[in-house]
Amino acid sequence: MEKRLRTRIIGLGNPILGDDGVGWRVAEQIEKEIEAKQHLYPHLWIDIQKFSLGGLSLMEQMMDTDAVILIDAIQTGNQPIGSVYRLNIEELPNYSAGHTTSPHDTSLQNALEAGKLMGAQLPNLIWIIAIEAEKVYEFSEQLSLPVEQAIPQACQAVWEYLSQLEEKR
Amino acid sequence: MQRITIDPITRLEGHGKIEIFLDEQGNVANSYFQIPELRGFERFCVGRQVEEIPILTNRICGVCPEAHHMAGAKAVDAVYHVDPPRTAKMLRELLYSAFYVTDHTTHFYALAGPDFVMGPDAPVAERNILGVIHKVGLEIGGKVIQARKYGHTVVEMIGGRKVHPCTSIPGGLTKGINEEQRQQIEEMGRWAVDFALFSLKLFEDIVLKNSTYLDLILGDIYTHRTYYIGLVDENNKVNFYDGKVSVVDPEGNRIGKYAPNEYTEWIAEHVEPWTYLKFPYLKKVGWKGFVDGKDSGVYIATPLSRLNAADGMATPRAQEEYEKFYKTLGGKPVHQRLATHWARLIELLYAAERWVELATDPEITSDNFRTIPTEKPTEGVGIVEAPRGTLTHHYWTDERGIATRVNLIVGTTNNYAAIQMSTNKAARNLIKGGNVNEALLNMVEMAFRAYDPCFGCATHTLPGKMPLEVIIRDANGEPIRELKQNL
Repeated sequence: MEKRLRTRIIGLGNPILGDDGVGWRVAEQIEKEIEAKQHLYPHLWIDIQKFSLGGLSLMEQMMDTDAVILIDAIQTGNQPIGSVYRLNIEELPNYSAGHTTSPHDTSLQNALEAGKLMGAQLPNLIWIIAIEAEKVYEFSEQLSLPVEQAIPQACQAVWEYLSQLEEKR
Repeated sequence: MQRITIDPITRLEGHGKIEIFLDEQGNVANSYFQIPELRGFERFCVGRQVEEIPILTNRICGVCPEAHHMAGAKAVDAVYHVDPPRTAKMLRELLYSAFYVTDHTTHFYALAGPDFVMGPDAPVAERNILGVIHKVGLEIGGKVIQARKYGHTVVEMIGGRKVHPCTSIPGGLTKGINEEQRQQIEEMGRWAVDFALFSLKLFEDIVLKNSTYLDLILGDIYTHRTYYIGLVDENNKVNFYDGKVSVVDPEGNRIGKYAPNEYTEWIAEHVEPWTYLKFPYLKKVGWKGFVDGKDSGVYIATPLSRLNAADGMATPRAQEEYEKFYKTLGGKPVHQRLATHWARLIELLYAAERWVELATDPEITSDNFRTIPTEKPTEGVGIVEAPRGTLTHHYWTDERGIATRVNLIVGTTNNYAAIQMSTNKAARNLIKGGNVNEALLNMVEMAFRAYDPCFGCATHTLPGKMPLEVIIRDANGEPIRELKQNL
C-alpha cells in the first residue's frame, strides 16, 4: 500500500486558562467529526493531539510527522476577538533571539531549527490556525463568546488544510 | 528622570516587564521587575473533588507540570492522612528525578548556555540554543535531545501519559512498573549520569577556565547576601521530593527546619503597590524592604539556595562536585547568583545518580504501590522542590473531600523579591550616564536568568513567548529610544 502522509493535528494551549483553551476545543471538535470525514483523506494518516507545550517540547511532539496543523490562541490586538488567522511558521514573531521575560525555553522556530540541525525528522509543512483571544490570564474552562463562536470557522480551516494535503499527494 | 521599560508587546495586558528609571545624570534611580499573575486558580478549584487537583494543577504550567503534580499528590495524601508505601514514594521520586534531568538540561544548554558559551556581549541573533549548537557541535545538541527524550520516556512510563502525569492518587499511584520497564529506566539513568558528568566538564572547560567568566561570577554585581531555603532529607542532604525545608541565614547558620504543615509559621507575604504578585519573606526575620543581610527576611529558593541550605548531596559523585563548588568559590554559603548555573549542574548529576539508585532498588517493581485511605479528608500541605524553587500546595476540604480552599506558593514567587533586588543591582552597576545598549541590557537580564524564573503558564498562547520591549525615557518620562527585537 502507498505510504500515507503522517499528518498531526495539534490543539495547543491551556484548557483551564480561558480563551487559551480554544486550540483544545477545536481539536476536540475535529476528533468528533474525523470518523465521518476520514474517507475524504485516503492518503493521509491523521492523528489528533492536545498539548500545553511550547518551544523544544512542542518540536519534540512534531518529530516523525510529514505535516502538522497547529491550532492555538493568539493575541495580536489588531483584529476583533474571535478572528481566525491562517499563518505559516515564518509569520510568527521569533522572540528568542532577543530579550524575553520567560527565559525558560526557546521559540518554536529556533527549536525546529535546532531539531533539524541535530538530525531530527521534522515535518516539511507546518500550518497554524490561530484564534484572536481575549481572556488568557484567568483560570476558567469557559471561552469568551466570540472565541467560542469562532470554533466552526477554525474547524473549517483544518478541513481545508487537510484537503490541500490530500491534493498534494 | 529617564525611564527604561522592558515590556511585552504581544500581550494586551501590560504585565511582565522591567522598568528602569534613570535620574538626571542617566544613572539608575530604581527599577521594577513585574511578572504576570494568573488569576482565579483558587476559585477554579473550589467545589471540585480534591484528588482532581493534582491533575488540574499540572495544567497551570507547561514547563513544570511534574512539579505541580507531585506537590499536589503529596498535599492530597496529607488531606486524606495517608502515608503511601515505600514503592509509591520511590516511583514518584524516580519520575521526578528524570524530570529534573530534563529540566536542568534544558536550562543549561538552551538558556544559560548562550550567555556563557556565546558570551554576554554576543549579538542577540546568536545568543540562543542555535548559537550554542553551532559553537559546541551538533553532537552535543544530539545529547541534549537524547537527555530530554529519556526524561520524557520515564515520565510517561510512571506518570501514565506524555508531559502531564496523571497516576498519583491519594495514598500512592494507580500503577507500578514491571522488570522490563525497570531495566530500561536503569539503562537510561546510567546514560544520564554520564551526560551530567559530561555537562559539568563542559562547564569547567568553558566557564571555570575562562578568567573573564569566573570574574563575572565572583563579582559584586550579581552578589546578594540573603537567607536560603531548600528541602533536605533526615541527614540534611538535598532532596527534591521529600523532607523538611531547611532555612539558613546569610552566614550559613541553619536557623531551623520546617515540615510542610508548618509553612505558615515561616513564610509570610509582602504586598507592593506596583505589582499584583506578592513577595514571600521569612516571617521570623520580618520584611525590611528589598535589602540584603541578616535583618532582612528576603530569601531565595533556587539550586544555589538548596546547596547552601543543605549539608551536602546524598549521592557520591554529586557530593564530590558539591565539595569542589564550595572550595572553588570560597566556602559556604555562596552568595554569587551566577553560581546558580553551576549549582544547577550539580543537581543535574544528583538527579541522574538518584534515578539510577531508585531504579536499582529491589522494591521498585513491587506491587505494593498504594495504601487505600480510610480517614476522613480535612486539610493538607505538600511541598516539593520544583527546579526553580520550593513549591507549596495547601488544600482544605469538607468531609466529602470537596475542595473548599486552595493556596499555592510557586517556585518563582519565592524568589520574586530577590529577582527584583538582583535586576536592580545589575542595572545600577551596569547602566551609567545614560549609556544603555544591548549588551548591558543582556547583562541585566542575566541577573534574573540565573533564577530561572518561570512564567511557563503564560507561554502557551502564540507566539509562545512573552518578549520584552525596552523603552528608555528621559527625565520627563518621554521615550527617547526604543529597543525591540526583530519581528
